[in-house]
Amino acid sequence: MSNQVTLSINNQSITVPAGSTIMEAAQKLGVSVPHFCWHPGLSIAGVCRFCMVKVEGMPKLQIACNTPATEGMKVDTVSSDVKDAHKWALEFHLINHPLDCPICDQAGECELQNYYMKVGKYQSQMEDEKVLKPKALDVGDTLVLDTERCILCSRCVRFEDEVTKTSTLGIFNRGDQATIGTYQDRKIKHNYSYNLADICPVGAFTAKDFRFKCRVWFLKETKTVCPGCSTGCNVNLFQNSNQREYYRLKPRHNADVNGHWMCDTGRTMYEHLNASARLPAPLLNGETVSSQAALQAVTDTLKSVSADKVAVVLTAQFTNEDYKATLSTLKTLLKGTPKVFVWRDESEKAEDFDGILFRGDRNPNTRGMMDVFKEQGVSPVMLKGDFSALASAAAELTLIFGPEVEAGYPNLGKALSRFVEVKKAVYFGNTLNESAKKMWLRMPVKVFAEKSGTFVNFNGVAQKLKANPPVFTAVKGVDEYFADLSKMSQATL
Amino acid sequence: MPVMNSPYNGRQPSEFRILTELEGVPNSRSLEVYKKHGGYAALEKVLKGGMSPDDVINLVKASGLRGRGGAGFPTGMKWGFVPKAPGEKYLITNFDEGEPGTYKDRYIAELNAHMLIEGKLIGAYAIGASKSYIYLRGEFYGEIAWCEQAIKEAYDAGYLGDNIMGTGFKHHMDVYIGAGSYICGEETGLISSLEGKKGQPKLKPPFPAVKGYLGQPTIVNNVETLAAVPWIIRNGAEAYKKFGTEKSAGTKLFNISGPVVRPGCYELPLGYPLKRFIFEDCGGLIGGKKLKAVIPGGASAPVLTAAEIETITMDYEAFAGAGTMLGSGAVIVIPEDVSMVHVLENLMHFFKDESCGQCTPCREGTGWLLKMSRDIVNGEGSPGDAEKIADVAGKMMGRTICTFSDAAAGPARSIPQKFAHEFLEFYKSKQNAAQAHG
Amino acid sequence: MAYVNVSRDPERNLKNGYLATSLVGMGTTLVTFAKQVFGLEESNTVQWPEVEYQYSERFKGAHFLTKRPDGRVRCTACFLCATNCPAQCITIVAGESPDKGVEKYPVRFEIDILRCVFCGYCEEACPVDAIRMGPEYSMAGLAERKWVYTKDYLLERDAVKRKVGEKQISKKDENTKHDTVDSTLPNIHAHGPGHGH
Repeated sequence: MSNQVTLSINNQSITVPAGSTIMEAAQKLGVSVPHFCWHPGLSIAGVCRFCMVKVEGMPKLQIACNTPATEGMKVDTVSSDVKDAHKWALEFHLINHPLDCPICDQAGECELQNYYMKVGKYQSQMEDEKVLKPKALDVGDTLVLDTERCILCSRCVRFEDEVTKTSTLGIFNRGDQATIGTYQDRKIKHNYSYNLADICPVGAFTAKDFRFKCRVWFLKETKTVCPGCSTGCNVNLFQNSNQREYYRLKPRHNADVNGHWMCDTGRTMYEHLNASARLPAPLLNGETVSSQAALQAVTDTLKSVSADKVAVVLTAQFTNEDYKATLSTLKTLLKGTPKVFVWRDESEKAEDFDGILFRGDRNPNTRGMMDVFKEQGVSPVMLKGDFSALASAAAELTLIFGPEVEAGYPNLGKALSRFVEVKKAVYFGNTLNESAKKMWLRMPVKVFAEKSGTFVNFNGVAQKLKANPPVFTAVKGVDEYFADLSKMSQATL
Repeated sequence: MPVMNSPYNGRQPSEFRILTELEGVPNSRSLEVYKKHGGYAALEKVLKGGMSPDDVINLVKASGLRGRGGAGFPTGMKWGFVPKAPGEKYLITNFDEGEPGTYKDRYIAELNAHMLIEGKLIGAYAIGASKSYIYLRGEFYGEIAWCEQAIKEAYDAGYLGDNIMGTGFKHHMDVYIGAGSYICGEETGLISSLEGKKGQPKLKPPFPAVKGYLGQPTIVNNVETLAAVPWIIRNGAEAYKKFGTEKSAGTKLFNISGPVVRPGCYELPLGYPLKRFIFEDCGGLIGGKKLKAVIPGGASAPVLTAAEIETITMDYEAFAGAGTMLGSGAVIVIPEDVSMVHVLENLMHFFKDESCGQCTPCREGTGWLLKMSRDIVNGEGSPGDAEKIADVAGKMMGRTICTFSDAAAGPARSIPQKFAHEFLEFYKSKQNAAQAHG
Repeated sequence: MAYVNVSRDPERNLKNGYLATSLVGMGTTLVTFAKQVFGLEESNTVQWPEVEYQYSERFKGAHFLTKRPDGRVRCTACFLCATNCPAQCITIVAGESPDKGVEKYPVRFEIDILRCVFCGYCEEACPVDAIRMGPEYSMAGLAERKWVYTKDYLLERDAVKRKVGEKQISKKDENTKHDTVDSTLPNIHAHGPGHGH
């Protein structure tokens, strides 16, 4: 036990590994110590001086973020002098803050606001003019910088230095003229830029993608998994529940998968969820039909063909449950195994990795799909740029499960135009691509935000999705369609 | 304190010559003159006289030499903190000398930079450093040239290099020119600047003696501290302890500025009476003006009133007892006809400009203090403002990475407290002026 | 148990005779009419719609949006009124203002007046005095009329211009950026304001 230390915080005892700080111990214990500059994913700066705590035996208040926990240490975070220190630290942060909350996108999730309500609530004594600094700066394709709102916690500077190693940002000038900014002629351009808006405790960095679109207090978050690539970052998906409109994604901490971050590509994963980007109802030969009628057409066809005349084209963007339902239902109905193809985009470089999170395999469930194949005893054929294998199968019925996230399939149109050549193509997917129009049957499906299921990431970590109410109430998931299909066939038998 | 019974009664400052030995000697900066006055004998004693690094550290410890930059930390003890493990270590000389009113290090370089180089070599030997830097303020053009010249001479004479005086001791020295920032005179701020970063103090722990310049153990010493080392080695710890008080041993350079008859740099033993220094050695105030206040140790030392200096002696303990500090030894004399309101505004302007902007209480607080004191000067203040300044300053103390915030808070607390009546009079006169005007 | 019959006796009018009571009533009318015709008494009746009744200045009637001195909309699209609205009748779509000094402004600002309960919370919530409830109380209209007040209507309708006039220009401190604040990247070599000696 020599590498563990036990200390007490507010008379509650806690044991942490030696070398931990008071802040880490407090977090573990669930005691909140107010902080701005400390971030668990970054190095310690110790500059906001907000996380003051009283340590017995030390004459001055100490910062929790950089004071190592020692055996038998007695820490106090609630006494009146600690509270006074927190109040004054907040006052110092706010004296030159512009308080333009009405036009600030951060309002509602701003640490300054939260802490003011938590540890502040004082009458400011500042009566002088505030320091003015540049506002609404364009610092890249994704972010807007307001240097006046900045509290100079240096989280963003450390993020650029330590995580992306791009070092675009710096703090210039000194004293109360100190200003956050980019180095001359440099812009923030990397695939992790939105993390800067996340870690910014105030509204200095705001995301262009979300700018002025919605106030955060209208949003409701869902804990789910990003479908953008095979890393499977844990995310919070934000939806305005009144308008059934999705607005953004933010990373959710998971030390085993993504840590604290996610990439900018993943941030776009809300766009395809909204109604305007989706097929609202099944189309049979271009005519809108009910899903009942559509499934009936599939059932009828299934009855008339043998297993070797049915082809299934899968992309690795569906859940394990979807694959299982599809394959087992087809095997039961056809009394044999259909031909299974796996469709990958021809430009894909699955082994690519940017060194942080983003992977070249743009499908969230490649590993899970392969596991299901093994379980179902299916040996798939790879379709990557070359579709001759599918053509030579000469199937009477082809069930195509198209990619939900089309960003990983830049050659989607080309592939779709090949698929329409087959007989009776049934396309499960929401794409609005022109080339999909000629499909025999198009079935809209639920998106990742609307289903509960499992994705297995590149590393074999299985993660559950959480279902939101669907944007189109009639649209179902693949597993539900096949359950219906199975019922319908049995009923007609 | 019975100052007038001090052992220095009747003795003149010219009798205390450790650092200013070469004062008045022609061509004092040259190596020959320095050697004629015992230069590099201490280094020879250390390297060839069989002194181990620990012997040097113990001797410096025994001498009671304390850091002369401001904090007054015992030098020998500081050297002892450096881990004995092999690996690169650095000895850096703090020649930033940014404390307002201070010009003692420049005076040493002006007399003879070899004193510093010899002291540095001995210190480097003690801590096992093979590389050292002199961090010089960029505006000190003359001092930069003199230090570079002295280093060149030392290399030529074999006092620097891979095999110093044939003993196998290896040491290289270089001058690093800073860009002029007060905070680069702070130990870790200096290290940041030396590393090529923005001059901002570093978070402690880790301390520089363990992890400093480029992540290696580093000792930062003031010029005056190091310049005293050769004398201590040559004459022994006991000789050094004969000067000064029990806890504040040795002599110190004091810089006096303000309207005194003979301003300048004086070498005095610690424990010397401040009043005698101002009124006898410096000839009192010009034109027989009355003394109002004294800032005893550079801008960051809390101010002393004329009444408080009656009996005080100039040493670490006596100043600390009076709620101020010896600091860099820059004595700033304020006469009766200078308003303390203006003094406060002047000091606050300095601190607002020099805060590095890293820690929030200091960054925002120094600006706020300046605004409030400027309001008072401009006649826009109200009677509660002086208390508010002291209050805000109090909340800045002990809350930041380095002690700059405390330094700014020192005068901001002491001036409104000790001269509250002046602030009130100031409001009144401003109000009257406004009424007369309107 | 004793009852006191307080109800009007239905027979009473008949007993007294219809005509007699009608004439008494008519007499009162005629006397008042005559008094008012000859100016002996003032009438309480307002000749609506030729004459408009003047409510108190503080009357909370139909909303209008205030303007900046240069005539642009004052609202910064902060959504506080919409958040505060118990009837959820305010719809705002915010956008980037072409004026850099303003930054955010409402592209759309709509009030579904049929849902509005005239509670005045929108006025209370507004941090920039951009929405006010005006003196206009006559809001009747035909069913086919559009009952959603648009931004233009809230800003420019004639009734507001007539009744509020100059008061529609809010005199509250300007909520624009200071002139000295430029929207350029900080120049690390330049001295900031107030940095000089």
